[in-house]
Amino acid sequence: MKKKILTILCAAWVVAWLSGCATTQTAPKPYRISPQGTVIWEDELEFAPPPLGWKLLLPEEGGDISIGFMRMEPGAFPSSSSFAYDEEPFGCSTDFEGREKEFFKRFLFNAILEFKMLEKKKVQVVGGEGLQVDVEGKDPIKGEKVRARVIFGKRGERIIGFYMTQWRPIDGTYDMSAFDDFDKFVKSFKFLKKSFYETL
Amino acid sequence: MEGHQRNLYLYERFNARVLGVSRDDVTTLRYWAKGLDLTFPLLSNVTSFLGVYFQIQPDGKPIFGRRTVIIDKTGVIRYVRDGSPEYKDILLFLKKLNQEGGKS
Repeated sequence: MKKKILTILCAAWVVAWLSGCATTQTAPKPYRISPQGTVIWEDELEFAPPPLGWKLLLPEEGGDISIGFMRMEPGAFPSSSSFAYDEEPFGCSTDFEGREKEFFKRFLFNAILEFKMLEKKKVQVVGGEGLQVDVEGKDPIKGEKVRARVIFGKRGERIIGFYMTQWRPIDGTYDMSAFDDFDKFVKSFKFLKKSFYETL
Repeated sequence: MEGHQRNLYLYERFNARVLGVSRDDVTTLRYWAKGLDLTFPLLSNVTSFLGVYFQIQPDGKPIFGRRTVIIDKTGVIRYVRDGSPEYKDILLFLKKLNQEGGKS
């Protein structure tokens, strides 16, 4: 009897595993893991995956590449962090200063926050010059705050962006280890081939 | 529209110019362009004759439908797509048109 139950369970497990395979075949993942443990995204981008606890976020529709990660954190709502790579950050300018101004007109626009600049500095990103801007936004009415880091870099003639946001209740404490994970992600980021715009 | 603004340098390279057309009045368009930092011309067509001409004026509605139209240097409509602009598709088409020697 025990053997029969085991056989049925094994058969059920095989069916479940095959169903999983079928699902994977219909929706192939846009990435693979290299032998070095980095993520190769659509054979175009390469980066080190963040530590366990960060969940992958994908855009709902196609278009220019955007990849993000998110994690819920201890504490009252809205305690969470997320970071992303964006091929087309808000704005149009191809110089960092111009793009920064345009970007912050619309960044977290719907949250209606009062932003304060914390730090702005030149950095090296994706093999070239970049601009890093740290800001903090507060909403005293809803009792929430956010700390954000935005890094602008260049891919060919166009500006690309990396950004990280960490939300907290207004009296909450930020967890800067999440920013360290973001910095490692950005530092590891590489373009494996020219972008569509560079090939025109 | 922000996508068109980002691609202006490529349109220039392909000898193309971009224009936006809307039924909004001039003042509204001016504020809108300022908000999005747009530098290319936006045409105010309050009376909607352009919408009727391009068949994007729904009956009884005060706004145009969204349509991208590419006109070549001889005035022939070469490309029409409805909905949000497919920027990469537009760029590839303009590149092809430019290689043909057509100025859009």
